Amino acid sequence: MTALLSVSDLRKAYSGVHALDSVSFEVAAGSITGLIGPNGSGKSTAIDCISGFQKLDGGKVVLAGTDITGKPAHLIARAGLMRTFQTVRIYERLSLRDNLAIAAQQFDQATWIDEFFRTRRYRDAVEQSEQRAAELVDLIGLRKYYEIETGILSYGQKKLVALAAALMPHPRIVVLDEPVAGVNPSRIREIEVALQQLNRAGETFLIVEHNVEFITNLCHQVIVLEQGRKLTEGTAAAIHTDARVLEAYLGMTPEMAEAEMRGAA
Amino acid sequence: MTIDAVYLLQLTLNGIALGLLYALIAVGLSLIFGVMEIINFAHGELLMLGAFAMCFALPVMGLLYWPAMATAIVATMLAGFVIYEGLLVRLKPDEFERSILITLGLSIIIIHVMQYLFTATPRMVDSQYGFDGVEIGAIRITWTRVIGAAAAVAAFAGLYLVLRYTQFGRAMRAIAQNRDAALMVGIRPRVVARNAVILAAGLCGLAGAAISPIQLVTPYMGQFLIFKAFALVIIGGLGNIPGAVVAAIGLGLVESWIGGFFEIAWQEAAVFVIMIAVLFLRPDGLFKRGGMRVG
Amino acid sequence: MKLLLALLGALAFAALPLVTSSNYIIGVGISALIFTVAAAALNLVYGFTGLLSFAQLGFWGIGGYATTLTVMTFGGNFWLGVVYAALLNAALALVIGYPILRTNRHAFVISTLTFALLVALIARDWVTLTRGPLGIPNIPRPQAFGFAFETTPSFYWVAWAFSVATIGFLYALCSSRIGRTLIAIKQNEPLVRAQGISPMPYKLASFAIGAAITGAAGGVFAFHLRVIDPGFLDFYYMQTFLIIVIIGGAGSFWGVIAAGIALSALPEALRFSADFRMIIYGVILVAAMFVMPTGVAGWLRERKIARMRQALQ
Ligand SMILES: Nc1ncnc2c1ncn2[C@@H]1O[C@H](COP(=O)(O)OP(=O)(O)O)[C@@H](O)[C@H]1O
Ligand SMILES: [Mg+2]
Repeated sequence: MTALLSVSDLRKAYSGVHALDSVSFEVAAGSITGLIGPNGSGKSTAIDCISGFQKLDGGKVVLAGTDITGKPAHLIARAGLMRTFQTVRIYERLSLRDNLAIAAQQFDQATWIDEFFRTRRYRDAVEQSEQRAAELVDLIGLRKYYEIETGILSYGQKKLVALAAALMPHPRIVVLDEPVAGVNPSRIREIEVALQQLNRAGETFLIVEHNVEFITNLCHQVIVLEQGRKLTEGTAAAIHTDARVLEAYLGMTPEMAEAEMRGAA
Repeated sequence: MTIDAVYLLQLTLNGIALGLLYALIAVGLSLIFGVMEIINFAHGELLMLGAFAMCFALPVMGLLYWPAMATAIVATMLAGFVIYEGLLVRLKPDEFERSILITLGLSIIIIHVMQYLFTATPRMVDSQYGFDGVEIGAIRITWTRVIGAAAAVAAFAGLYLVLRYTQFGRAMRAIAQNRDAALMVGIRPRVVARNAVILAAGLCGLAGAAISPIQLVTPYMGQFLIFKAFALVIIGGLGNIPGAVVAAIGLGLVESWIGGFFEIAWQEAAVFVIMIAVLFLRPDGLFKRGGMRVG
Repeated sequence: MKLLLALLGALAFAALPLVTSSNYIIGVGISALIFTVAAAALNLVYGFTGLLSFAQLGFWGIGGYATTLTVMTFGGNFWLGVVYAALLNAALALVIGYPILRTNRHAFVISTLTFALLVALIARDWVTLTRGPLGIPNIPRPQAFGFAFETTPSFYWVAWAFSVATIGFLYALCSSRIGRTLIAIKQNEPLVRAQGISPMPYKLASFAIGAAITGAAGGVFAFHLRVIDPGFLDFYYMQTFLIIVIIGGAGSFWGVIAAGIALSALPEALRFSADFRMIIYGVILVAAMFVMPTGVAGWLRERKIARMRQALQ
């Protein structure tokens, strides 16, 4: 498999603190790749640098053969990289319908002129977007909330809305920052299945997550960060038994320990 | 036109005196912004209250300058306390727009209540120093200006010491630098914010008291000054106290020089033109905000 | 449904000169229409896009002067003047909007305030153009096809047509994808960027359209007053627009329109003392920010959401 996303020598310091210190990894096209590491190891910073939300101090990011290093976030999104945020971001005062429609609108061909005259192009675009939204709403199990402001949803449900929004425009790669943290455990299994299904249909994922079971079940390849450096990488099974990884996780926070317990159980 | 050195020096001294007064206002705004991330639209009205307090206190105190000034400062600090406890305390740190609208409403109320009570007629304020002045060669500066400038310098020195060496000053800087971390080490933001507002109000009261013998006192006097002070905190970098001081003194000089050689209109417009130019070149202001630095 | 109501309301408003012959009341009606347009423009910029812009006051003044000068100095007519006012403001908004929208939202607010003050200074000090504090009196009423809108009732139709047209345009804009995107930008700008949308062109467009409409409204208002002087840039106007938007509910299109009509009558009703009127304005502003920070429309909406939430449990 070829690398869809290739990150090399990524460096980023916050006022002297090295959040990322020469991190390199690749995400194969069609894969689900996990990015794990203790709290504060630089996972979110890596995502922010890749997706254009943080200026990077050095390194190179290539998406499908195109250099996207340092490009503005909206251009990286248009190039086909959609991301979610660790602290959930959705439009809380808009309905689920609008949340999903906005996520797709930049990716269709309809202009405001099309909209004004309600041209065929506009109507087609809206219809396609509605269809996709309907699929995704079923996927995340929030059909009955479709017309309702997303602000009233629970935290876990909001995470799912953010996930669905990222999937709306059929991006080349979806980057998820802790997609199931705070999501109802009974739903996590369904998300797993759904992501696997989307992956089989050709979607590539890069996932940051603390839930070890989730990562183990899903990921083909796992990259481990510690204190801004890449500790190791390998298949989920190999990582699980890697001594260095276990050691890194021994200094873990209670919530992570709990996550691991859940994973082991 | 040949430039007369004495005239230029005179303008320069006037400019510094003016700049110091601007700095008193701008520093207060910056202080409040640093701690609460809000802009106090009613800040100019605190200055106006200080000037009015001076105006009423002086005759009572037999025209004695210093006791009247102290009264004015205490009065505005009290006003600051009331404003904080009554209104600002209800604001959350990220409610910038709301803070503007609330303090804008407050400013409207204060101005028009004052106008209702004391009419819009400008008042002259007379103090023990009258219009006497010092003369150095051909240069003449009134005592009220000299004392106003000296009081401002003393206030900045005091502020520096407070921010640098007291518990309260350290807490204030900590909050301005990193709110979450400050909360974690047990700093109580409410107390710090209240003290910051009171301190800023005191600086404004000082400015108002110092200005009152120099300028006419009217209910509107704060409004135009405050708009300039807003521009100054932007030029200096929001929340950056030394930046505000430098920008303020720079503006005092520029205005004074322009006023000496060009039409008065240019003098008033200078601050806004400078601000737009600065924003164009450096969107974060001349001196980028790095928390609340004190030196 | 709302649209039907709005249409009926507009028609009812058109009938005002038929039910009263009082020039005073019709004059209040003209002010109400024009203020509502200016408030709706501010709502586009602040309520929808989240940009608290005090520059509206500057645009209002520039519009008033540009329209007046077109007629009085440059020999054009009223209609052209209004168009020029709109175009000039849009261009100006693009030029100043670009640098100040790149700064943070704190600096944006203050820069717009500064712009408004600068315009007021220019109006006062550029005496050769504006006649300074003397102002420009005796502005003639407009004409079209040989008909002069000389009387107050006939000028009322002009103001009515202007506001119906601009409010209709703003409604089309706000209820389109563009309007939806503006709301999205206000609510969560990083997310908008993550979804491939560049916020800048939208913000600039919103700022410029708001400026153009405010300027045009200022032009019509100057021809209602028939005199323009630096008092046209009194902060009072900005406060009025803001209070309308806040009370109506920032981001609620019809809420602000309704508040505009209702509250424009207020200054007239409270005419007893200028100071007292302003005190009441200030109290309303402060009280509204605490009691109903999202305005009447927001308050109603929150109650609806609370009901929904209950139904879901
Ligand atoms: N905006 C920021 N400013 C300063 N330091 C930051 C910022 N964001 C993250 N950091 C620091 O960078 C490091 C990596 O953080 P992050 O990428 O959020 O870790 P993770 O997502 O793996 O938990 C941490 O030490 C964190 O404190
Ligand atoms: Mg993280």
